[in-house]
Amino acid sequence: MTVTDFLSLAPLIIIAIAPVVIMIVISVTRNYKVVYGFSILSFLTAFASIFFIVPAIPHSIEPLFVIDIYSLFFLGIIIFSALLVTLLSYDYIKQLDGVREEYYIILFTSTLGASLLAVANHFILFFLGIETLSISLYILIAFQRSKDSSIEAGIKYLILASVSSAFLLFGMALIYTALGTMQFNGIVSALGESGQLSPLVISGFAMIMVGIGFKLALVPFHMWTPDVYQGAPAPVTAYIATVSKGAVMAVLIRFFFNIRGFDNRSLLIVISGIAILSMFIGNLLAIRQKNIKRLLAYSSIANMGYLIIILLTGTNKGIQASVFYLISYIITTIGAFGVITLLSTCKYEAEKIEDYKGLFWKRPWVAIVFTLSLLSLAGIPLTAGFVAKFYLIFEGMKAGLMVLIISMIINSVIGLYYYLRVITAMFSPANETELPAISLTGNITLCLITISILILGVYPGWLIDIIMKFVNL
Amino acid sequence: MNIFFYIAAVVAIISTIMAISGKNAIHSLLFLILSLLAVSVIFYLLNAPFIAALEVIIYAGAIMVLFIFVTMMLNVGIENKNGNKLTNPRKWIVSSILAAILLVDFILALKNVPASPSVDQVILPKQVGISLFSTYLLAVEIAAILLMAGVIGAYHLGSQKKKVTHRFLEKK
Repeated sequence: MTVTDFLSLAPLIIIAIAPVVIMIVISVTRNYKVVYGFSILSFLTAFASIFFIVPAIPHSIEPLFVIDIYSLFFLGIIIFSALLVTLLSYDYIKQLDGVREEYYIILFTSTLGASLLAVANHFILFFLGIETLSISLYILIAFQRSKDSSIEAGIKYLILASVSSAFLLFGMALIYTALGTMQFNGIVSALGESGQLSPLVISGFAMIMVGIGFKLALVPFHMWTPDVYQGAPAPVTAYIATVSKGAVMAVLIRFFFNIRGFDNRSLLIVISGIAILSMFIGNLLAIRQKNIKRLLAYSSIANMGYLIIILLTGTNKGIQASVFYLISYIITTIGAFGVITLLSTCKYEAEKIEDYKGLFWKRPWVAIVFTLSLLSLAGIPLTAGFVAKFYLIFEGMKAGLMVLIISMIINSVIGLYYYLRVITAMFSPANETELPAISLTGNITLCLITISILILGVYPGWLIDIIMKFVNL
Repeated sequence: MNIFFYIAAVVAIISTIMAISGKNAIHSLLFLILSLLAVSVIFYLLNAPFIAALEVIIYAGAIMVLFIFVTMMLNVGIENKNGNKLTNPRKWIVSSILAAILLVDFILALKNVPASPSVDQVILPKQVGISLFSTYLLAVEIAAILLMAGVIGAYHLGSQKKKVTHRFLEKK
């Protein structure tokens, strides 16, 4: 390990040290506010350190890590969304009885796992990252031990994630058997110029796609999503929907572009099939949902279906479109789940659509944020979601993926229906239910999210310029 | 050479199926140990004696013994006490046959070393240690954090409320 190695790993090292420090603090005294403040400070430091290591890159630590602009961009996205989730968690976690400080330790270890996926250049690191992420997520999902639905969701996730990890590992082993290398950029040279894949390699790729498809909740590996989203505490649901999916997407894009998967016909057909199925099944199942967390779960399935279209474009422009889409999706989703988190207490989760009836007349500010997030998810102009979808469709059309783009447009229309159902509920006459007070940190976060959704929707040029200038694989 | 592998693999599959389909927790755990032993024989056949030994020491040895102790202490499966006599051969015949097959397979394989033709190099503990603590040092450190998350989770999900009185003093 040289100084440059340490320097270029600075964000990861900060995130790895923070949970240890929290543990030491806990062993001296349990103080919720101190732990919370320290967590936010550490995430901020980690986020700031990304800007300081730009001169040290591109740098690779053989054979595991590669730190380039692409990974820094995703590190930034992951750490920033983890920071937003932390900001939102304050009240919700504070109301839990029993110990609460462990929540932040696990939040750090899971963020470390997610960050590893952004810098992975090797199957071993890929697997370690996924495992660190999912083991932490089991704990976060089942964190509220007194609630049966939490435990149920935790066990569901535990079993299905273990099965998917087994698939992933088997796929990696098959590829290693066939090619004798586990490095992403080694695989492409081992495959050779012929482009003809042996059955062993194809089955390896297929198994890796199963593992990744589970993590991204793509159809047909989506069964766990609604149950886990519903059972997990609201801030954890936000975390699963954003950080975990963003990180897996980072490694999927890098892997797929490194092995030049878009040159292979069978992989193309499989991914188009998965994308179309995810869009239609996600949106159609969302229509009848009465539970808002399940509704957002199905909507996230559909959104991931849109997002994997860009894998098929095979261009740098496609990656740039996907990064923009991911940023807007993450901000929007944290906005939506943030509102749910702030309106829920650990005793009563505000997850039914009736709970939001007349929200506009009681809490106009919160209702506006929620409306904005849902409109952005639906892709209405002046929000981030519109620009992101436009960008995605634009790049898809250029690559000639007509069937996929047409089904994406059809699905956007279907999606509008169920998002609007929630919005009409918010503007209908109020009923008499008590709503919890919203803390300062909650308001600040909502403010931050609203501003970002609007800025990205009205004036997205600067971000697109940054992405086009830096994000290349 | 292949025949040894297939025998061990079949033993592993059958005993795993028995482990997940059995009703008695202790029996299931014993079948699981058999399955792990069969896997370690497969590793041995692949010219990886070190991994085979680790499989026996860590999985079949430490972890499974811990499991069995916990299961015994929790008194799972106590209800069918009467049916568990050793004189009833239905209880132990399958596992004994499987274990005997595995033992014979292993002894015959020992005589026929060198094992696998596809792997020409035997990997020794020294090489494993060197690569773990040089090339893959960072991976080992990340694994440490993974285990830390697991320990904290086990502590959080498994902890109980503190009892003020001793359990013997509690009124039933």
